Amino acid sequence: MTATESRVADAVTRAPGWLARLGGSGGAGRRPRGDWPWAYLMIAPTGLGLAVFYLWPVVQTVYFSFTEWGAFGGHTWVGFANYTTLFQDPAVGQALRNTFVYSGLVLLGVPLSIVLAVLLNTPKLRGVSVYRTLYFLPVVTMPAAVAMLWRWIYNGDYGLLNYGLSLFGVDGPYWVSDGRVVLYAMAVVGVWTLIGYNAVIFLAGLQGIPQHYYEAAAIDGAGRVRQFFSITLPLLSPSIFFVTVLTVIGSLQMFDLIYMMMDRGNPALTDNRTIVYLFYEAAFVDNRRGYAACIAVVLLAVILTLTVVQFRLQKKWVHYE
Amino acid sequence: MLRRRVLAGLFTAALLATAGCSGSGDSGGDVTLTYGVWDKNQVPAMEKIATEFTKAHPTVKVKVELTPNKEYWTKLQTAVTGGSAPDVFWMNAPRFGLYASSGVLAPMDSKADLSKYPKSLVDTYNWQGRQYALPKDFDTIGLWYNKALFDAAGVKYPDETWTWETLTEAAKKLTDPAKGQFGIAAPAYSQENYYNTIFQSGGTVVSADRKKSGYEDPATVKGLQFWVDLINRHKVSPTVKQMSDTEPTQLFTSGKVAMMYGGSWEAVGFAKDDALKGKIDVAVLPRGDKRAVVIHGLGNVVYAKSKHPKEALEFATFLGSEQAHRIQAETGTVIPAYEGTQATWVGAMPQYQLKAFLDELPYAVAYPISKNTAGWADQERKLLPLAWDGSRDLPGVAKELATAMNAALAKE
Amino acid sequence: MSRSRLWPVHLVLAIGAAAMVAPFFWEFLTSVQSFGESTRIPPTFVPSWEWSNYGRVFDSLPFGRQFLNTVLMTAGRTLAQLVFCALAGYAFARLRFPGRGALFVVFLSVLMVPSQLFLIPQYQIVSSLGWLNTLAALIVPGMFSAFGTFLLRQFFLGLPNDIEEAARIDGANPLRIFWHVMLPLARPGLLALGILTVLWSWNDLMWPLVVNTSPESMTLSAGLATLQGEHLTEYPVLMAGSLMATLPVIVIFVVAQKHLIQGIAFTGSK
Repeated sequence: MTATESRVADAVTRAPGWLARLGGSGGAGRRPRGDWPWAYLMIAPTGLGLAVFYLWPVVQTVYFSFTEWGAFGGHTWVGFANYTTLFQDPAVGQALRNTFVYSGLVLLGVPLSIVLAVLLNTPKLRGVSVYRTLYFLPVVTMPAAVAMLWRWIYNGDYGLLNYGLSLFGVDGPYWVSDGRVVLYAMAVVGVWTLIGYNAVIFLAGLQGIPQHYYEAAAIDGAGRVRQFFSITLPLLSPSIFFVTVLTVIGSLQMFDLIYMMMDRGNPALTDNRTIVYLFYEAAFVDNRRGYAACIAVVLLAVILTLTVVQFRLQKKWVHYE
Repeated sequence: MLRRRVLAGLFTAALLATAGCSGSGDSGGDVTLTYGVWDKNQVPAMEKIATEFTKAHPTVKVKVELTPNKEYWTKLQTAVTGGSAPDVFWMNAPRFGLYASSGVLAPMDSKADLSKYPKSLVDTYNWQGRQYALPKDFDTIGLWYNKALFDAAGVKYPDETWTWETLTEAAKKLTDPAKGQFGIAAPAYSQENYYNTIFQSGGTVVSADRKKSGYEDPATVKGLQFWVDLINRHKVSPTVKQMSDTEPTQLFTSGKVAMMYGGSWEAVGFAKDDALKGKIDVAVLPRGDKRAVVIHGLGNVVYAKSKHPKEALEFATFLGSEQAHRIQAETGTVIPAYEGTQATWVGAMPQYQLKAFLDELPYAVAYPISKNTAGWADQERKLLPLAWDGSRDLPGVAKELATAMNAALAKE
Repeated sequence: MSRSRLWPVHLVLAIGAAAMVAPFFWEFLTSVQSFGESTRIPPTFVPSWEWSNYGRVFDSLPFGRQFLNTVLMTAGRTLAQLVFCALAGYAFARLRFPGRGALFVVFLSVLMVPSQLFLIPQYQIVSSLGWLNTLAALIVPGMFSAFGTFLLRQFFLGLPNDIEEAARIDGANPLRIFWHVMLPLARPGLLALGILTVLWSWNDLMWPLVVNTSPESMTLSAGLATLQGEHLTEYPVLMAGSLMATLPVIVIFVVAQKHLIQGIAFTGSK
């Protein structure tokens, strides 16, 4: 392995070490190297399956990004032409901005999930399993129903939200059709969908914090808020890291919400597309498959970079045992 | 452990069982064709046609394959790229150019009598001299109106004498901002709205040789101006944002707008809605400088790489027969294209003056297409709403659209 | 803390829960409306209780057959993932081998591209194998998961080393250690992955739609999508079908959530 490789390997393998109990991350150092035939054997099924069905398409995509395609097959090599077009295309820059804005907003939901988990962890709370089920429901609900409901809530003339605002004398905008607010409206739905799932992960993390830490702090005179910041958050930080990494990866690929909630006649659509929506348009509407592949490759590079950065930064704030 | 073994066994058994039932079940000399469609409401009619075909050709069975409209083209493109599209499938005008020019479709060298269908439809599915589909159905656009709202405002119902001016005047009387009621819905929809008025002003969308955009033509811009004025000058229509939040058809059926330009396809849905009983009807479109209406229809095409080309061609030809079109008419879902079969459709819903849609046939203009219609149709969708909501002036938008469209056409 | 002082917590949780349950209530409300009521603006809150919509689902779809397909596909994918991802996850967590770090990053990269990217390549593979319209097409690509591997790797890293060490000293090879020692300990993690895979498989729409052409081989989600007509969708029937399709998954979650919390606990935290 090169120096870079081993650094990446280190960063990556230490990552989930947050759940290592006292005793370090996996004790892998003492494992004899003669393990490797077994290791490859055990990785083989998933590895081969991923290689055939997922990695090979990714490699193909990188290749296709240097070609241009006919509608139904047959391609010609165009070198970096797609990349040049992409970097000069204002729509791409705009889509990336929109995607980052959306992602940032959705990440704001992570603290919300933490608070929710803390509430669901209140000792002696009756019916906690009922609440847990209810908060997990959005993950299970049919996306079409979710879209219908939220379109009604957000409807500018007859929707619930604007009706509520009107009671306070506020004239609400057309949440889904007005370019200035639609990303925020989508972000709310995004957070709403994830909040229960993330809260469950945090809830589990909270169960792992020994109760006597809190008792000791209380004896020392620390209030509930102080306890939250000095005990709960640090000991929960590994979970926060896990959730943050996955939320970033997922939210940067947002497509379904726009596809379902914004019709092609929506005036706000053009300026508020995300990068994956651009990919979909290029691939399936405009029949520019080479350009679409190019967009996908750029997105992959962005997400990969952000993920690696997050793994590197974890040393600064994630508290492992 | 036992549970795991049982589950694994179940899983394997299921895999084996269904592996045996895969494929199109060709047994002996029998042939099974696949027929790709996208409208659930028409499936019963399609299956009946398939049964009738098998009666006449006992060794050929037809399986109707339904894909929801939204995913139909994605799936078809995937299948064609993968080499296994249905033997016969539905095609529409905007996509036709791409499929025909890419060699995906087999020419329909059948002995069908083309004079039995509206000429504009036959021409639509003709590519470089060869016919690739027999028209399946057609739709035109009519002026749907809410009788109850008209009565309340004391306005006479629309009829064939109406012009753009009459429409505007009536809409003004039917608009009541206090009640949140508008005279007419004026969305930036091409087929339902502005293509019709463009043709009525003598303009074009794309030139006859399909090389130049019609949006530079002042006559075309006049046709667009009609709608822009309805929203911004006369204020008789909801705004673009309102109509994006709530579909115009929904506004119409909820009594929020008194009139809308709508396709003949709306009739079925309106008839199902109990609350609308006796409240709505339809008339021919008002005339601009002249009479015109855009006509569109689907065609049945044959897959060039079909494994049963002979049978597929036979089936596609049968789909264009008078018998097949009569079956379509009986369900009332679409207007069949074959001459003389439309009366059944008109009679299926006597509560509406559906004859209006047929009366428009003499002056119907074909839906504008080119080799890669999608390339510039998207530009229409992106740019025109900017003029509709008043944020930009129409001539500027039209010019930009013309430039973008010409660039797209040049690439074809 | 006495129960009576918990009412603010209950209040906040209840308000949030109401927001979470809202779409279900919406689905149910629409499912018992008439067609006209379902398209009305403003919405109709007092429906006409058309319970017949539920019966009509069975007329519009081969519901039972599609239900079976969905169950088989979900079971197939889940069982396979449990085995394959556990094997790989354990190897990444506990075994030392060259290229481990880089290989793991490569696995993760699969999560970082839009899923539509896989549509055409996977279709071509499946089509050339003659698997269109079969369960094999539904199950096989879904048997392999980078996410599942990641999840179970987390889990294995959190387990204590001592039992493993003891088995090693006794001379057992990694595969034996995995099967007899680690897998039983991994039950909560497996349960967590199992439930998540069940949830996602059940709602998978695009792939079953593309790879199946006949209603008999479709899954519920794909079948329900076909209820959307070109110009006319009967939303009440669609909602009735969706509710019936979701019920089994909710039951599974309610039954398993206690184990789920424990399972995720071992992967997401210390």
